[in-house]
Amino acid sequence: MRQLTTILIVLAVAAWPRADAVMARGGLAMAPMAEQSPLPEPLAIVVNRSNPIDNLSSAELHTIFLGGRGYWANGRRITLVMREPGEPERKAILRDVCGMNEDQFKTHFLRGLYTGEILVSPKILDTPYGVRKFIFNVPGAIGYLRISDVDATVKVVRLNEVLPEEKGYRLHLQSQAVN
Amino acid sequence: MRRLFKSGLNVRSLYPAPLWRRVLTVVSRHNGVILLLIVFCGATTIGGFVIRDMREANVEAEEIYTRSVHGLQRIGELQFDAQETRRTTLYALTTSDSNLQVEYADQSRAADQRVKDGIAEYARQGEEPAEKTLANRLTNDWVDYLSVRDEVLASILEGSTKEAVSLDMSRGVPAFEVVRQDLNEVKRLYDRDAARRQANLVSVSRSSTTRLIGILCFTFLLSAAAVRAIERSRMMSTVQLAKLQMEFVASVSHELRTPLSVLRSAADNLADGLVEGKSALRRYGAILQHQSRNMGELVDQILLFASTEDGTNRYKLRPLEVAPIVDSIKGETETLVKEAAFILDPIIDPDLPLVLGDRAGILQCLHNLIGNAVKYGGEDDRRIVLRVLTAPSENGFDLELRISVSDQGIGIDSSELAHIFEPFYRSPRVQAAQIHGTGLGLSLAKRIAESMGGRLSVVSGLSMGSTFTLHLQIAKGQEMPMAATASRPESSLIP
Repeated sequence: MRQLTTILIVLAVAAWPRADAVMARGGLAMAPMAEQSPLPEPLAIVVNRSNPIDNLSSAELHTIFLGGRGYWANGRRITLVMREPGEPERKAILRDVCGMNEDQFKTHFLRGLYTGEILVSPKILDTPYGVRKFIFNVPGAIGYLRISDVDATVKVVRLNEVLPEEKGYRLHLQSQAVN
Repeated sequence: MRRLFKSGLNVRSLYPAPLWRRVLTVVSRHNGVILLLIVFCGATTIGGFVIRDMREANVEAEEIYTRSVHGLQRIGELQFDAQETRRTTLYALTTSDSNLQVEYADQSRAADQRVKDGIAEYARQGEEPAEKTLANRLTNDWVDYLSVRDEVLASILEGSTKEAVSLDMSRGVPAFEVVRQDLNEVKRLYDRDAARRQANLVSVSRSSTTRLIGILCFTFLLSAAAVRAIERSRMMSTVQLAKLQMEFVASVSHELRTPLSVLRSAADNLADGLVEGKSALRRYGAILQHQSRNMGELVDQILLFASTEDGTNRYKLRPLEVAPIVDSIKGETETLVKEAAFILDPIIDPDLPLVLGDRAGILQCLHNLIGNAVKYGGEDDRRIVLRVLTAPSENGFDLELRISVSDQGIGIDSSELAHIFEPFYRSPRVQAAQIHGTGLGLSLAKRIAESMGGRLSVVSGLSMGSTFTLHLQIAKGQEMPMAATASRPESSLIP
């Protein structure tokens, strides 16, 4: 009897509707936004610590990530660091910064390299650790990392004068348009 | 006689010897032991120094070895890590995979950190100014190389392979060559330091060897001195023996010549017909009898001494009654005592137990003691007391029988008491008084007493007379209870 009661309690807990599922069904629409859906994790734009740049506008970032700009103001060559295709961070960058999907992005770079408008294709790193290390070793490198993957070996730049932890930061893993 | 002299190999002195002669005597008697002791001391001393020096040399060698191994290992590691820094950087050129390139970059940075640590340790341990200067130079040169290495790495990661190679060739190779020369200099300084330490070790070893040789020489000289001292003491013993022999011969000759002269005179008178009448003939006969007896006794004493010295005279011990022996000795010495106008007064305790001894030996011993009492008994109180009693023995548990001979004569000086039992010893005072003797009587008596398992003791003082006591064992089963003797008055003369 006691075991049966325990099993029933476990089944009831397992069958209880989860908050995200409720949200997906349009339930709890009247609840405040902060309680209903916590903010998606910010995606930080990181550069080498020796890079003097502190802030980038959305337009500058767009140009850089599409290979439209080859050098920093200090003369260092810009090296773009990307995660592998399919990674959420890459998807977010393609969508929110480049405004392209994966195929469009690839086509853009192939065409740019062929025409000579783009000098270097992006470097592909498997892991956030690889991204950090690459940016640490290359003074002109720029990439992106989840804010939880950022450490002291790299430098986070402001986006439109806003840091990832600050209010109004527009680059997150989930869809947030950058305008 | 020759056998008799052979017995004189032990050093004997006629007079109280000075300290240095006594020391030589002791050295001579124990020369083997002393030599052994000297050799042992020398060997122990040398052994101690050898062990100490060996330990010092071992510690030094161990330190050199440890430092050498550790130092070479550190230098080797430093050189390897420096090469590894450069090698892994260049490995990154071999691939276009950014992930692999990052991994090589990581390895290069790990290696360069080890090099930095190694240089820092070298700088810490450097004692000489040259080492410290070199450490600073190496640090700077390594930083210079790393700055080039970082640029080369960046170029490789950026994908600018040509630029990376060009940069490495133009700046990386020369910078690394400088580092390599610095590391060679580190090794050279280390080798110089190791050579200096090795030279120190050789120096320590050489000084140890010199010290050992010195100690050996010292020990050799000490041993030589000891051997020389022993030889000298032996030579002095030989001289002493020769002197004793001469004195003995002179003494015996004199002792023999006196009765011999009397005998010769008497014989001459008889041969010349100068002796007439029965009374004169009887008197001459008595003289011849007395003197020939004296000569016979002297010869007997010498022969007896020789036999006891050689150990051939072994007495057969058996239980004996003392009273008959006392009677016998009284009879034997009656003439001697009477002629010297002495009185022999025996005082014998009643109920004496049987004594363990040899009748002839006891008689000879007492004869010598009574003869001495007569000879040195003085002029005033011419009474010789022969006292026989039982008393506790030396161990305090058993009883012994004591036969003491006391006189009231010239006595013996305390300084001479230690020598009177030595063979041939004659007091200078007695010699000056021209009292004849061979110096064998007391020595002989003592040997006889000891041959029978007893001993001979003396109590004497100058002009206070002397008491010689013969201590003999009581025959088994004849011991009397202590209580029986406790009430008996103890002679104050017996020690």
